[in-house]
Amino acid sequence: MSNNKKVNIFLLIIAVVLFIFLPRFLSGYWVRVITTIFMYAVIAQGINIMSGYMGYLPFGNAMFFGIGAYVTAIGMSKGLPFLVVVPLAAITAILFSILLGLPVLRLRGHYFAIATIGMSAAILAVVQNATEITGGAMGTTLPIIDKAPSVVYNYFYLAMLALMVITTLSLHFIIKSKFGFGIRSIKANEDAANSMGINTTYHKVIAWAISALFTSIAGALYAYWMSFIGPDEVFDVMIAVNTIVIMLIGGAGSILGPIIGAFIIELFAEVAWSAFLEYHLAVLGIIIIIIVIFVPKGVTGTIGDFVKRRKLRVGKKVSI
Amino acid sequence: MGENSTILQIKNLSKHFGALKAVDEVSFEVKKGEIVGLIGPNGAGKTTLTNLVNGTYPKTEGKVLFKDLDISNLKPYQIARIGLTRTYQVVKPLTGMTVEENVLVGSLFGRENRDSEMKNASKRAREIIKLVGLESKKDSLVSDITLPDLKKMEFARVLAMEPEVIFLDEVMAGLNPIEVEEASILVKEVRQEKDLSIVYIEHIMKAVMGISDRIVVLHHGRKIVEGTPQEVVNDPAVVEAYLGKRYAKGIKEVNNEG
Amino acid sequence: MLANAILLGGLYALMGIGFSLQWGISGIINLSYGAMVILGSYISLEFFNFFHIDPFISMIMSGAILFIIGAIIYRGLLQPFLKGGIVFTLILTFAVRLIVENIILKVWSADYRTIRLAYAGSNFQLGDIYIPLTKFLTFITAGILIYLTYLFMMNTKTGKGIQAVALDKEGAQAVGMDVEKMYMINFALGTALAGLTGSLWASIYAFSPHLLGPIVGKVFIIAILGGLGNIWGAAAGGLLLGFAETAGAAFLGSQWQEAIGMVIMVCVLIWRPYGLMGKKFFG
Repeated sequence: MSNNKKVNIFLLIIAVVLFIFLPRFLSGYWVRVITTIFMYAVIAQGINIMSGYMGYLPFGNAMFFGIGAYVTAIGMSKGLPFLVVVPLAAITAILFSILLGLPVLRLRGHYFAIATIGMSAAILAVVQNATEITGGAMGTTLPIIDKAPSVVYNYFYLAMLALMVITTLSLHFIIKSKFGFGIRSIKANEDAANSMGINTTYHKVIAWAISALFTSIAGALYAYWMSFIGPDEVFDVMIAVNTIVIMLIGGAGSILGPIIGAFIIELFAEVAWSAFLEYHLAVLGIIIIIIVIFVPKGVTGTIGDFVKRRKLRVGKKVSI
Repeated sequence: MGENSTILQIKNLSKHFGALKAVDEVSFEVKKGEIVGLIGPNGAGKTTLTNLVNGTYPKTEGKVLFKDLDISNLKPYQIARIGLTRTYQVVKPLTGMTVEENVLVGSLFGRENRDSEMKNASKRAREIIKLVGLESKKDSLVSDITLPDLKKMEFARVLAMEPEVIFLDEVMAGLNPIEVEEASILVKEVRQEKDLSIVYIEHIMKAVMGISDRIVVLHHGRKIVEGTPQEVVNDPAVVEAYLGKRYAKGIKEVNNEG
Repeated sequence: MLANAILLGGLYALMGIGFSLQWGISGIINLSYGAMVILGSYISLEFFNFFHIDPFISMIMSGAILFIIGAIIYRGLLQPFLKGGIVFTLILTFAVRLIVENIILKVWSADYRTIRLAYAGSNFQLGDIYIPLTKFLTFITAGILIYLTYLFMMNTKTGKGIQAVALDKEGAQAVGMDVEKMYMINFALGTALAGLTGSLWASIYAFSPHLLGPIVGKVFIIAILGGLGNIWGAAAGGLLLGFAETAGAAFLGSQWQEAIGMVIMVCVLIWRPYGLMGKKFFG
């Protein structure tokens, strides 16, 4: 392993350790904000593997967040413990992704994006109307944890942190693997990928299942954390939009991009909210436009370009 | 299977786009180890034929047999895994990736039942890159290399799949005469070393002549002639297809006199 | 009820065509389309409140203003980023929606607005049925506008240019056509149609920013049903959706309305992605 890599791994471990101990120095409010950041990072990674690496934008991915949340809510209302419900939620989401994915992933990018929006809206409508099971449009509650509030939010902080670390690590190893090359080839040139022996439908479906897995667990944690969820909230199209923007600003197709992006966006939202309350929609819109125009490759991409250009310049100097 | 047995059989292959018969009942065979040139003027149906054989287009009619296995209804990735591959007339590099990564993908996927573990696949990829002479460019992004290198890369990519049959689709397009010469030598060397069967698609006669064992000529989607390079080059039907009736008459007269 | 379905369908048809043209010809899925429609409604509202101009007349202003807005958005924001792929166009049009939505909220608030026309109560008698005059007029107007769009596409130089570009971009470039201008006009035409629809909508129904999202959902369905870029297909799709919604509301209750629409769309996507008319689409 090169020295560079060793240094990077060391730095990352330090970062994780720092995060673990961070809550001691922060108010409850900020602990909750950072927990939300971790959560958005996870959802953004789900978008990242599909769009950043594979080139298929799952605009409706929030549906897995909602499915995770609701299966957890329903399961716990039947008395199942949290740790049992979470795998159930994940499995449900994965099943949805496979059943819905198989027919739709055969088609190309545009249709997939629209189809996911349609699916998400349809599922939302079903949840809103199936009042006996889901509590309908008014939402549903989950068991409240019988501990002091600070214990509770620290617990969820660590849980979300763990989820984010696991998701990011998993993605890292997946992308380096043979399967990862398959995914990237689909984005690069799907026709060529097919002719090279890559079963593209298989790759697309599995990628979406992976995306569903992590997104739904985030939803499950969210539901238990909030103790109360409503359909409009967990199936909100803005979740998808925000996480897409997070992926873009952090850098699509990079492993750390979504994490960086989540920090940037959420922290900006914190700062800007009070200042721009009446204009927050427009401000978000303008931010999106600015990102696309000036930083289309996101933070990681732009840094990457910068490093490459420096290497070229240094190289030129040396060769002369 | 014996030394000169048939590895690929194309039987009555047809592709109709509405009223247009892009490929019209074409049949021929490829023996193991052969280089079969597939020529014809532009629009003769050569690339369409390739797309039919490799599963990219559905067939209107006809069958394709690979080592006696009917592959007519298989998907492109399945056909690739069995050992039949192709390159593209307009190269299709995996954009955003380096040369080495492109070849690696071929090495990882490609023919089934091989060791596709990352380490060994990487080794294989690097060997092939060396073989085609792209070693100095292996870390370059495909967007940064020249056309001849792109063609070499696509060739390397296909070789990394360890196929038994390769359809090289107009691999010379866009190359200058020196590059064409180099490419021809490379193809011959590789064929020797790797014991491949190649269907060599070109519309430039000269490139194909020196390299093919046999030639199949297409015109307006139909096979008009099949034979050795010598036979084909003197065939009036072929000359007519390329140069028109008046030249063909000239050849006929020469043949009658000689 | 049948009459209601047809009348609604006519309006949907007009609405869907604009979106379908933008998607089919430019390949842009315009998530701000809903905002454009209601913007048309609000423009007519202002003309009505300040100048007492009937929406059937002020719709011309709506159309013109939205045409210009569409042209500016396309040229300034979308065209430079088309090569970025669908991620960029989706997120950019969404950004436009957010901005427009915010402006509408600020200026007109989230309350439902209406235009109270003097003749709103009158009915038009067709045999046994009494049709509200306003609905009848909007249907006729929508039909005329759709036909005019068709004529434009078929008979004018620009319209034929747009078709040419849709069918064969390189060919069009080769004969010296200003391809980008064609795309821009097509997109602007789409937003103009949205604005016109909004004005017509305002003459009958109440409107508010709440309609933004659902409109986009509806036009997805219409565009896919009819085949992208296909004018008469979108018209048929619009009528179909009008029927489905009216019937759905009557038989199942209005809550399931949107869900039905979405389910229909997903099913069509899965089984006949080229639309019920089967026309080849962009991409």
